[in-house]
Amino acid sequence: MSETLDLTLRVWRQPGADVAGKYVEYKLTGISTHMSFLEMLDVLNEQLHAQGDEMIAFDHDCREGICGMCSLMINGQAHGPDTGTTTCQLHMRRFKNGDTIVVEPWRAQAFPVIRDLVVDRSAFDRIIEKGGFISVSTGNAPEANAIPVPAPVQETAMDAAACIGCGACVAACKNASAMLFVSAKVSHLSTLPQGKPERSSRVQNMVAQMDLEGFGNCTNTEECSAACPAEISISNIARMNREYMRAKLCSKE
Amino acid sequence: MVTKSAEKQQPSPSASGKSATKWIMTLLSSSLGQKFVMGITGLLLCGFLVVHLAGNLLVYVGADAYNTYAHDLHSMLLLPVAEVGLFLLLFAHIALAFKLTSDNRKARHISYHEKQSKIEEPPSFFGKTPMGRTSSWMFLSGSIILIFLIVHMIDMKLHLNPAVTYTVETPEGVIEADPYSIIVQVLGSWSAAVYIIGTIILGFHLSHGFWSAFQSLGLNHPKYTPWIRKFAILFAAVIAIGFASLPIWGLFIH
Ligand code: HEM
Ligand code: FES
Repeated sequence: MSETLDLTLRVWRQPGADVAGKYVEYKLTGISTHMSFLEMLDVLNEQLHAQGDEMIAFDHDCREGICGMCSLMINGQAHGPDTGTTTCQLHMRRFKNGDTIVVEPWRAQAFPVIRDLVVDRSAFDRIIEKGGFISVSTGNAPEANAIPVPAPVQETAMDAAACIGCGACVAACKNASAMLFVSAKVSHLSTLPQGKPERSSRVQNMVAQMDLEGFGNCTNTEECSAACPAEISISNIARMNREYMRAKLCSKE
Repeated sequence: MVTKSAEKQQPSPSASGKSATKWIMTLLSSSLGQKFVMGITGLLLCGFLVVHLAGNLLVYVGADAYNTYAHDLHSMLLLPVAEVGLFLLLFAHIALAFKLTSDNRKARHISYHEKQSKIEEPPSFFGKTPMGRTSSWMFLSGSIILIFLIVHMIDMKLHLNPAVTYTVETPEGVIEADPYSIIVQVLGSWSAAVYIIGTIILGFHLSHGFWSAFQSLGLNHPKYTPWIRKFAILFAAVIAIGFASLPIWGLFIH
């Protein structure tokens, strides 16, 4: 395997939110296989800058796979070909010399493009504002063992809490549904004792906001879970469905 | 994005109030509530299919058995009620199928230049695209089933299949032919081709739909879900082969 790659990139370029976009092709030579995908884009941007061209806008922050800021549909796959991986953790050794790589932004009515590959994911923030929290009075930290939480419950909650809110589930779903994201947040909080007091209002308000934002409906194709860098399971979606029906049919809220 | 977020604010809880029916309306207009109805109607329709298949397999027993079954069924007092119920189930299922599918298309208003599945699966005709999975085809398979159902109603309810004589002349006058002779004629007519395609496509619809309904209803459990998914394939195969065998028998064997 060669240590450097010559690549063709076909990138979605869109100067602004309400402007038409198009795919633009770029040739890159001598890309090290040790680079991450975003470093490869940095190299391209330096070249564009040197030529006096507009650089490609893309989202990123931690570059260590934990913040959920990076995105990108790479050759038709959210966060690229690896499973359980974010784009910032994808390495160029996954590609072959001479490859053509198509790079697109997340596509969803609820995630409008701001510029090039950057989309507005504040719909997720508005959903979180509706119930992705627990209300506690501050004060001294309570005794850690005062509320027993069995290990399997902790594990379920922690698995759901692993969601980094990147939106890959929406991007990969053919219906641009946000149910994996919302269900992860609902599961994380409603399985723990601290989340129980707001259990009924949380799921109802979050689902109502999700619908309002214009996300699609789950058809159980499981593409979300396969694309999720945190490998959130679709069993969370079933739990959210249960929680929702319980809240609607059995609670007073 | 200040303006955008302002548009998307829910009415405040105090303004919404609580009336006896309001919660039902919010439930039925929510995505999850509609998926719930989709799942319930789908499963109840599956229940109908089992009963319908069992009854129809009696053609293999013979004309008498089939005619007695049909006669007993049609002399049941509650049959019209059951038929209305069945129609309502189908209507709700189909209406929601169109509504949800159109919502889903709007949610992905711009499609991808390229789309590949990350689900590990044996290589299929469609390569790595998600199109190799029956879950990608639910609306199309449903629509084909709908065409089949329309042909089926023309044949069996409206009695308008031109290749079938629905009446017989007897010394007492013209009376309706017995159910066995009608079904044998229908299964030997051009409709049979639609029946074969329709029922096999129904199998594909159910191979995903059956377990998907459990998921939509929130019935997921690490102990049972793997079995439900296996059973869905078996169930779909039994329904498809069972029903498709009838037109094949009518065309080639009878
Ligand atoms: C005997 C007839 C039918 C049976 C037994 C049946 C059964 C089912 C079941 C069990 C589901 C799964 C529900 C869920 O995912 O929650 C389903 C989904 C669906 N059905 Fe049907 N169906 C039938 C006819 C139709 C027809 C005529 C259409 C018309 C277009 C249709 C369109 C759909 C669609 C679009 C879905 C949603 C797919 C999804 O959410 O994954 N079905 N069906
Ligand atoms: S940049 Fe933080 S997860 Fe990729």
